Amino acid sequence: MRILVIEDEVHLREQLTQQLKKQNLTVDAAPDGEEGLYLGLEYAYDVAIIDLGLPKLSGIEVIQQLRNAGKEFPILILTARGRWQDKVEGLEAGADDYLVKPFHIEELTARINALARRASGWSSSMLNCPPITLNPTSQEILNNGINIELTAYEYRLLHYMMLHAGEVLSKTELTDHIYEQDHDRDSNVIEVFIKRLRDKLDPDKTLNVIETLRGRGYRLTLARVN
Amino acid sequence: MLIKKLSLSNRLFFAVSLVLTAFLGLSAFSLNSAFQVSADSAQHKRLKNYVFTLLSSAEFGDNGLTKIPEDLAEPDFSIPNSGLYAQITSGREIVWQSNSSLGLFIALPDHPGPSNEHYSTVKLNEDVTLVNLAYGVVWENEHGEMFHYTLNISEDINTISQQKVGFQLSLWLWLGGTGLMLLIAQALILRWSLRPLHDVVVDLHAIETGDNKRLSDDYPKELNQLTKNINTLLDHEQSRRERYKNSLADLAHSLKTPLAVIRGELEGMTDNSAIQNATYEQLNRVSELVDYQLQRAATEGQSSFQSPISLGDIIHKILNTLDKVYQHKHIQNQCEIDHNIFIHADEGDMYELIGNLLENAYKYCSKTVVIFIQLHNDNIEIYIDDDGNGIPEHAKNDIIKRGKRIDSQVEGHGIGLSIVSDIIDAYQGDIRIERSHLGGARFIVTLPK
Repeated sequence: MRILVIEDEVHLREQLTQQLKKQNLTVDAAPDGEEGLYLGLEYAYDVAIIDLGLPKLSGIEVIQQLRNAGKEFPILILTARGRWQDKVEGLEAGADDYLVKPFHIEELTARINALARRASGWSSSMLNCPPITLNPTSQEILNNGINIELTAYEYRLLHYMMLHAGEVLSKTELTDHIYEQDHDRDSNVIEVFIKRLRDKLDPDKTLNVIETLRGRGYRLTLARVN
Repeated sequence: MLIKKLSLSNRLFFAVSLVLTAFLGLSAFSLNSAFQVSADSAQHKRLKNYVFTLLSSAEFGDNGLTKIPEDLAEPDFSIPNSGLYAQITSGREIVWQSNSSLGLFIALPDHPGPSNEHYSTVKLNEDVTLVNLAYGVVWENEHGEMFHYTLNISEDINTISQQKVGFQLSLWLWLGGTGLMLLIAQALILRWSLRPLHDVVVDLHAIETGDNKRLSDDYPKELNQLTKNINTLLDHEQSRRERYKNSLADLAHSLKTPLAVIRGELEGMTDNSAIQNATYEQLNRVSELVDYQLQRAATEGQSSFQSPISLGDIIHKILNTLDKVYQHKHIQNQCEIDHNIFIHADEGDMYELIGNLLENAYKYCSKTVVIFIQLHNDNIEIYIDDDGNGIPEHAKNDIIKRGKRIDSQVEGHGIGLSIVSDIIDAYQGDIRIERSHLGGARFIVTLPK
């Protein structure tokens, strides 16, 4: 899952980036409204975290312009003063949730996960596609109740594919959502990750967990249980 | 530009002086010309009278005019250079002239014809100018012979000019005197009527220098509204300043407790996780205290300068926000607001008040939140019901402790309701908690309209 963080305070921005990466999220960060808006318009994100008091372009303006440009990813606003007028203004501009500073990182990741789930049609907090269950909070993956160990990128890939279980996902889309903006990309790597996921999730090759649609991409075939 | 800088009293003074001058000048002009006209016509009438006096005393015979008696009714005719002269001419020949005009002038040239009168001004020499009436007379004797005469009566123009000059002098003196008196009176009246304004300035200056706290109450009714408003503004400012000061002091004091706790933990314990927990807990507390005092300092409170705002609008906006954020709970809200409920309050305050109450309801309800607002005896009553677990009787007082600082409140209730309580206090309103018919809590807020 790829997250956009727009926050002008250096310490908070770096802290957020690091802690979100620890949660196996792909994070791009921008120090001001203009750069944030550029990233938001240019790349595909799953959730954006936008501080309201930004230099160059205010958080509200960034949200409005993203929404006007047709970007539909969920937006969470951060406010330093928990004023209701600010919250209402932010949500009227098109944001989906708010968090008042200072906050616990667990609270933030829980909100991010909830927003991402909601945006992709999930209502429960666990992503459950029997026999596989993914817990975004603990980052645990269970296959029939048995824990499965994944590498960071394998986890990112599976997380995104489970969020969009049943949808056809192109290689480019998958690359976009698991790699940071400045990362060296090679879409062939996706094939390697897919193969490894198939091996780890379905060592007996009985489930056909991920199907390949020639020229279009991949699809997680397991049915969601919401 | 210059006009803009003029003081009120100068404006009034200039305007009234201008009007006064114009008025007095015009009166002088019209009085003067009326006097001129009447003086001239009086003179003409006088000259004509002399003509008839002369005619009535003249005796005519067969050869025309025979005799004019020496002692005419008007003695001025007999005194040389008296300024009143008479001459009777026939053609170019002087038939008779009064003693006063002897040697003064030769025949006057005017012959207006029988029974005609003609007025003219004759300049005799450098010093003497006469106003002359020439009057034509025809005498017919028994044989039908006609004798044409012209009666000239002249009066020195000085007699009438002197009258006119005298009149003008006294006219100007009187009008000037009146004008001056009016100007003085006007200046005094202005001073007197503008005195309260001057007093306000002095009063305000006293406030600036700190000698006074507010304006005095006894001003004329035209100014009273203004001074009353200034006083309200001053009071409002004063209470706001107090609040800032108090919040700052409260904040400083209340921060000491968590700091002391952290220090105590650091000094007394060696267990890292205990220190970490204590620090986290106290950090939360610090953050809440900062939020709370910030909000308290920002609370505007009631003031007559606030324009009315619609509670309905605010509630709908907050409900939209909460519906979005609490999407996963699928909450049903019912909102019933009396038509046209407006309140004179600060918008930010109302957002905080209603936002915090509604967020609580959304947080603790299970499926339903009901908002009902009505106008009751000039008060606005806000009912917020939810179908959650409700608040136990013994906890109700702890949740809303009126007039207590947050650091003296029971922990764990967050700062939302403390802020709500504070705002309600600032508006001299009231808050109660009851049991809702939905099963959960019912918050009833009463605010003066």
